[in-house]
Parts: sequence; C-alpha cells; structure tokens
Amino acid sequence: MVGLGAVIGGAGSIISSVIAGSAAREEQRRAAREKKRLEKKMAQLEADRQDVINPYAGIQDLSSMITNPFANLSVATGAAEMKIEEADISLANTLDTMRATGASAGGATALAQAALRSKKDVANSIELQEKSNEDKRARGEEKQQAALTAEQQRLQNADVQGRGFVYGETEKREMGQLDRTAGLIEMATGVEAQAKADALSAKLGAVGGITDTIGGIAGMIG
Amino acid sequence: MENKNLFQNIALKQFNQSDVIAYNKSFVSDVSDYNFQLLDNAYRNAGRTYAKLKIAIETNSCTSEGCALELSGIKNLEEAPQASLSFIASLISELSTTEEQNFDPNNNYQYTAANSLMTTKPGFSKTDGYSAYLDLLPDGSQQISFMGPAFGSPLVINNTALNTLLESGTSLVVSTPDINKNMLSLMAEVGLFLQEMIGENGELKANAKISEEFIMMNPDGSFDYEIVDIGNGKGRNVLKYDLKKIEQKAKPFINAEVAGLMSSEQDVIAAWNVYISKSTSAEEDAQMAQNANAGNTSWLYELDLPLQEDKKVLFETKYKEYFMNNYLNEFTKNQPPTVKEDAAVFDLAEAKKAKAQKFLDDNDLN
Repeated sequence: MVGLGAVIGGAGSIISSVIAGSAAREEQRRAAREKKRLEKKMAQLEADRQDVINPYAGIQDLSSMITNPFANLSVATGAAEMKIEEADISLANTLDTMRATGASAGGATALAQAALRSKKDVANSIELQEKSNEDKRARGEEKQQAALTAEQQRLQNADVQGRGFVYGETEKREMGQLDRTAGLIEMATGVEAQAKADALSAKLGAVGGITDTIGGIAGMIG
Repeated sequence: MENKNLFQNIALKQFNQSDVIAYNKSFVSDVSDYNFQLLDNAYRNAGRTYAKLKIAIETNSCTSEGCALELSGIKNLEEAPQASLSFIASLISELSTTEEQNFDPNNNYQYTAANSLMTTKPGFSKTDGYSAYLDLLPDGSQQISFMGPAFGSPLVINNTALNTLLESGTSLVVSTPDINKNMLSLMAEVGLFLQEMIGENGELKANAKISEEFIMMNPDGSFDYEIVDIGNGKGRNVLKYDLKKIEQKAKPFINAEVAGLMSSEQDVIAAWNVYISKSTSAEEDAQMAQNANAGNTSWLYELDLPLQEDKKVLFETKYKEYFMNNYLNEFTKNQPPTVKEDAAVFDLAEAKKAKAQKFLDDNDLN
C-alpha cells in the first residue's frame, strides 16, 4: 500500500479506498464473466437435450379388429330339405304300396296328414335354429360393443397418460434446469451486486478527500 | 512475424520474478523514487481553476456566452475526483491480470510494464527512467500516460474508453479462463460417473471410477480385459473401455462447456494460447517455470478477433482432445479389474495361449 500510495498520491484514506475499489471491481468483473459463461453453457445444454418422447404415441386403434363372429350365422336348411325329401319319397312309396294292395281312400288321407306333420316338424326345427342364431347374434353384438368401448377407453387413457408423461417430464427437466440456472445466476448476480456496492462504498469514502481540497481552495480564493 | 508481445511479456515476467536486479550495483546504490503522485499532480491546480471559474460566473466576467464554458468546467471539476478514483481503481484491477499465473503473454506487453510501475516493482521507478501522469482533459475525460524504457512508445489510456470497454463486458487485459477448474467440473457433469463418485464441491472424489456401463464386456457378461506385459514374462488384466460410447456421452457436455467459453471470444483466444494449442495439462504447466504457450501458433487479439468459424471449430475439436487426453485418459488407462480374481498377476505365455484357445472355442475353429 505504501508503494501504491507513492504512485497515486493523496491521503492514506484515498489509497485504501482505491485498493478496496479495485478489488471490488475485479470481483464484479469475474462474477459478471462467470454469469455470462454459465448462461451460455446452460442454453447450449438445453438446446442439445433429447426431445421428451411420448411412449404411448404408437398406440393404435384396434377397433377394426373387433367383430361379431355370430353376425352372419346361416341356418342349416340342408338337413331340413333332406328330411322333407325323405318324407316325400316315403309318402310316394307308401302311396304306391297302397295302390298295389287296394287300400282305402281314408288310408291315403291319413298318410297325407302324416306327411304334413312331418313337414311342420321340419319348419319348426328351422324356426328354432333361426331363433338360436338370433340370440347368438345379439349376444355377440353386446360383446362387440363392450369390446369397442373398452378399446376406445384404452386409447383415451393412453392419450391422457402420454400427454401427462410428456408434460411431467418436460416440466421436471425444465424446472430442474431453471432452478439450476436461477441458482447459478442468482449466485453470480449476488457477487456482482455486492462487488458493485463495495466499489461504490470505497469510492464514496475517498471522494470526500479530493472534493474537500478543491472546495477548500476555492473557498479561500473566493 | 515476430510476436513482440509474447517476447516482451515473458522477458518482463522473468525479470520481475528473478532476483537479477538485486545484483545490479547501480540499482542498489541509487534512490528508487516511485513518487509518481498521480492525483497530487493532476489536482495541483484544480482548486485554483475551480475558484477562477466560480469568480468569473459570480462577477459576470465569463468568456463564453451565458457562462456555458465556465459552468461546464465547474461541473467537470466537481465530477473529476470521483472519476479519477474510479479510473485508477479500474485500471489497477485490469493491470493486475498480468500477474495471474496463467496470464497469456500475447496480451499487450505495455500493460505488464504499467502494472510493474503501479505496483512499484524494482526497476520501474522514476530513477529508472519511468514516468506516469494523470491528466484532466478539457472535455471532462481523463487520461493516464505511462512512459519509460519498457514501454517503447507511451501507453495512453483514456477513462471513458476504459469505462466503455468494461461496461460492455470486455476487458483491457484478458484473464485466461481457469481451464483446470472448468475441466474438473466438466468431469463430474459428463454423466460417465455415478452420483456417489461426485463430492460436495461438484468435483470427482479421489476414488472415482467410470461407470460399468462404459466398460467392454464379453457376450457371457464377463469383463473383456486387455492384457498388459509387466515384464519378466508376467502380465495382468486391465479394463477395456468403450471409448466411442464415452465420447458420445460426453460430447453434448463438452459442447456446452465450449459454448460457455465462446461467450467471450477473447477468453477463447487466451485459453487457446495458454492451454489448448499445445495441449499441455495444468499439471505439466505447473512443473514449468513458464506455462507452455502457443508460441508461433498463437492467435492474436489484434488480428484474430472476432474469431472466424474455422478457428471456432478448431478450438472445439482441440478442446475435446484436451479433455480426453489430459483429464479423462487417467480414468480409462491401466484401470485394474474390479473382480478380485481377475486382478492377479499371471504368466503371460499361458494367458495368451488360453485367450487364443478361447477364441478358437468361441468361433468353433477347433
């Protein structure tokens, strides 16, 4: 300090203040430089980050694969037709036999009625089959609707979960980085502000000495 | 082209650090006068001038219309002391950079000489032919002039120019970034080490090791070792690292570090000149009397600012190499196995034979 005093001149308080001011400026400069460096570094880190992916983005709507296997059930009429044919053949054979044996007309009527009953049975059987098919189709329809609803719910859930995931991850990252950046900047800004205050305080302490001198001389002459 | 700054700065540093002046009989026997008295000389007539201006205004004897010049002169004088102190404090702060251990000798050598004068280094006194003046200029600004043998032409610095530089975030003398500190922090940031390997100071602990995910493995999950010949027919295993994977992992963090440095291009030049160009480590520099410097590959502040794109790319490439060679290398070379049985010393010939046989077995070549 003695050496610097000789170089600068002025009172001891001025020299002390200049030294304090110089140290404060150096600290201020370093803090400002560090802040600038960290901000640039953080910006680059943020720019280089991978995008947050939505793991549910690939979910596909599988509704088109859901069908009602009972929608188009056919009625098995082949057997019924065969049964009718058999009844007809049996009726024809019986009539031939009756003609050959000279059977009465009453017998022929009874035979025709039996044939009719047989055909009615066949019609009943087809009706029952159709009813059963209709029931199955309805149950299939019900299950298909339930499956379709479940699939749409699955898609909606995936969408919501995906959006939630992306939001959460982005938020987590950004908050982390913001916190870190804010912390660093706050620290550097604090140092910078303190250094500025120190420099100002050093300056104010010293200025009095010189201004007093100027003012004093002016006062004497004035 | 001769790099005058480099030569003069190193010469001045060596002069200041050596005791050679103590053996100069003329110096020892003479008075060393450092009474440059910058403020005393600058303000010697200030009071008188101030009084004259005041009287002129009060007695209506101004030379300018409406006493404009006189009022301006008074204002300048009233503000001058504060400006002087601020100027000197800033200048001392700037010049002190020349004394930093990693100071780049490509800075203007006149600042090193000026610092030597301001800090009263032996050989820079009035007696040695040096002088320094603070002048209050009519336009209200101030300037300090340094003269003497080491300066060549006078060094003149104006306070408004210095303020402008400092306020814009640049500096008169470039302080070289602490690459060692930055790289030690970077080591902990690159994601190659587990969190428990990082200390509270944000740097790696002494026992830090790279995570296993970056170690080469055999298909059966065992470590793939490199065999090192330790002499006398003996060998031992060392871990093999997936350097490509390591590089990929570290790259974005290194890029970010470089981007941070690029926020001040003069810092980049200083780092290049002092560390990166010659790839010397901070440890190697510590072992030298004078830090290795770029020498004829130096980038010059006067010529190379603003930095061209090719230089930025070159800096980034060399910075990465520097990090890999001087910092990461010690964690990937000669690392003993973590499996105790694999760490034993063995017969080299037998091990080589066994390894060859394993290769034949693995590839069905028997």
